[in-house]
Amino acid sequence: MANIQDFSSYNPTWCPGCGDWGIGVAIKQALIQLGLSPSSVVAVFGIGCSGNMNDFLNAYAIHSLHGRALPNAIGIKIANHKMPVIAIVGDGDCYGEGGNHLVHACRGNHDITVIVHDNGVYGLTTGQSAPTAQKGFKSKSTPTGILETPINPLALTITSGATFVAQSFAGDALHSIAMIKAGIEHKGFSVINILQPCVTFNKVNTYQYYLQRVYKLDSNYKKDDFKIAVQKSLEINEEKFPLGIIYQVEKPSYTDQLSQLKESTLVDKNRFTDFDKIEKLFI
Amino acid sequence: MTDFTWLIGGEAGFGIMTTGVVFSKITTRSGYHIFDYVEYPSLIRGGHNAYEVHVSGDDVSHLSPTIDVLVCLNKETYEKHKSRLTPSSLVVFDKEEFEIKEDIKKIIIPFKKILTDLKGQSVMKNTISLGASIGLLGGDIGELIKIISEQFAKKGDEVINFNKLFVQAGFDAVKKNYSELILNYLTKKPGEEKLVLTGNDAFALGSVIADSRVYVAYPMTPSSTVLTDLAAWQEKIGMVVRHAEDEISVINTAIGSSYAGVRSAVGSSGGGFALMVESLSFAGITEIPIVVFIAQRPGPATGMPTWTEQGDLLFSVFSGHGEFPKIVLAPGDNEEMVELTAKAYNLADIYQLPVIVMSDMYLSESHKSVTKKFIDEFVKTYKVNRGKLIDQMTNNKSPSFVKTSEGKQNYLRYKITEDGISPRLIPGTPEYFYQANSYEHVEDGHTTEEAQPRIDQVDKRARKWVTYLKNDFSMPKVYGEIDKSEIIFVSWGSTKGIVIEAQKQLKAKGINSAFIHFNHIYPMDIDKMKTFFKQNKKYVLVENNSWGQFGKLLTMKTGIEIKNKILRYDGRPITATEIVHKVIKL
Repeated sequence: MANIQDFSSYNPTWCPGCGDWGIGVAIKQALIQLGLSPSSVVAVFGIGCSGNMNDFLNAYAIHSLHGRALPNAIGIKIANHKMPVIAIVGDGDCYGEGGNHLVHACRGNHDITVIVHDNGVYGLTTGQSAPTAQKGFKSKSTPTGILETPINPLALTITSGATFVAQSFAGDALHSIAMIKAGIEHKGFSVINILQPCVTFNKVNTYQYYLQRVYKLDSNYKKDDFKIAVQKSLEINEEKFPLGIIYQVEKPSYTDQLSQLKESTLVDKNRFTDFDKIEKLFI
Repeated sequence: MTDFTWLIGGEAGFGIMTTGVVFSKITTRSGYHIFDYVEYPSLIRGGHNAYEVHVSGDDVSHLSPTIDVLVCLNKETYEKHKSRLTPSSLVVFDKEEFEIKEDIKKIIIPFKKILTDLKGQSVMKNTISLGASIGLLGGDIGELIKIISEQFAKKGDEVINFNKLFVQAGFDAVKKNYSELILNYLTKKPGEEKLVLTGNDAFALGSVIADSRVYVAYPMTPSSTVLTDLAAWQEKIGMVVRHAEDEISVINTAIGSSYAGVRSAVGSSGGGFALMVESLSFAGITEIPIVVFIAQRPGPATGMPTWTEQGDLLFSVFSGHGEFPKIVLAPGDNEEMVELTAKAYNLADIYQLPVIVMSDMYLSESHKSVTKKFIDEFVKTYKVNRGKLIDQMTNNKSPSFVKTSEGKQNYLRYKITEDGISPRLIPGTPEYFYQANSYEHVEDGHTTEEAQPRIDQVDKRARKWVTYLKNDFSMPKVYGEIDKSEIIFVSWGSTKGIVIEAQKQLKAKGINSAFIHFNHIYPMDIDKMKTFFKQNKKYVLVENNSWGQFGKLLTMKTGIEIKNKILRYDGRPITATEIVHKVIKL
């Protein structure tokens, strides 16, 4: 069985105290606890501080373009649906640049797990505001405060068709591990929005800020009720942050619905050679 | 020898396209070859549709300037096409619908009356005109009825029999009133079995032969029928076809599936490809094989969606930011489309880079008959070559595997090699792992910003072009003899059949010409290229664009400048006749 050294590559270059450290450890622990090894999982990274995890985590991986990790992950899953595929992305990456892909990946219920580092800023480009920044947030690109209202990642993904939507906090590694594990084990499109303080560029959404506003869903919470889940997700708008599985239902995934993948994965299939079948359509 | 053009025209949305394909198939089943062409506006209803079929006893891939049988389902058809009639042309129409004053050979078919008598919908005018056309051309009505039966097989005998009535009515109207005008153009003759393919069908078929397993696209005219073909076949052939949310997702899905080990392609027109180019560069640096099909149409922007142009050559050749190798191919006809598509997948795998296959509306949407024998022979000779893919059995011996200082297994995905190609491992192979990195990287895939590894990787990637030129580049094909000709045509891609026809017409006028046709567009072997241009001859560049883009590429690469240019950019294909007229004036 793989251990933390097996998954560890270069030493991370994140700022001391950055929420990414907690998320990085949580991802490795979740993979280990699921019995996976660097050879049996595929990770797709976006571009940003979160995406820089590509050099710190050992796995079959693509370090993608900014915003494009999801379609890469979908393609990998189509080619080899037996392998777990995770996408490690940022809020600007996934909710901004790649927003269109997110909506449609939800609709497709592609069996991939999306781990979003939600810190409200673009850290790697030195602190411009991200789509999750609260209205009025001042940054270098929005010096008088951002005019747009923030994306609600939970409501957006639940209403777009995601079948697993969870939220955790980078400051709570054990809970993050549990959410990531549950997301990977879930058959279908799973999103884990991880609230992550950026200690360098976000002086609003700090550890203290989140510690005062996060709370765990209680054990009676009905996670398979769409309306309750949407209502719960709207609490973000009032700066209340529920942690846990906000929504989870079982539905056939994209590859489950492809009859051509019933017998084997696409990559392992035998070559089709009965060309007469196609030729006769044109005679 | 049979050589004629049949054209049917009518209002858009009334089944002209389907009727044209049925006509093409009747003629190929009767032993003839065809090349056809459609004109239609970017509308679903209203506007004018025209479908012309050039039928020949011999292989054909150009249009004829004249129309021998013109079937007018409305007055507009007659008005738009009457300039192409000759004294012997026959014009089919219903005088209840409109009058023709000119003194021409009129074949009056009472479409209206037949529809009323047999209680048919107006779309069945097509069925009547097929019956009338087959009658007029001396064709076999049995063959037509067979096709109609196949077409409506799922709808049952009642629908088939109902349609037969209209076929027969059209056929009988000709036999009864115009027996003296019947042409024996379509007398059944023995001939090889043929496929009636568009360029898009040929790309789809080539992809299946090449064992492509993923096709991703977003609909865009004139590339969309590749998507609909493969989507229709996917369960049968074991392919996955994804209609993604946009072209950026399209190419990134295919990059993902290709990374995971299956041959993958995408398709679009220029505008959709424009959205893909950042990711093309991503495939370039990650060295993930990908085949990109581009069916050009006149731009810029939305341009003229349903018309033809070769205006995206330089854009394709230079697409993508940064410096990375790619290969651009441009088939000249459907046979070349099948061959070069299948070759494109091999090249993408061998060189681990993007390979672009260029088409245009003229090639993509025109049908050309291709013998079944040609396809079957090609299938027999084609070998899937996955390039340097590390085999499960031999993987431990690969020099791409090294031990780290801690004694751990390390796989060098981007190992520096002499030919520039690094052995590739399919993700999921036990014991190993690696990242395909969009950042510059060292041999094992980790990110680097150091000078030397950067230089090493840039040079390694560039060497793939050198290897390609040595091993897989094909020289342009020369039609005719350069030494014995005063006129030398230079062209690329879909103009092939047109220029060859122009050569024949010039020959008939006593002018010898040669034609250098390029289908391996980029990169090109500069030294070898120069050998074609040493002679003191009249070189004529023929392109379906306004800049003479291939000419510019040739100048940039070789310093050779072709002064005589025949360029067309009104959305219509160049014709052999206009080439001949212009050459004579040179």
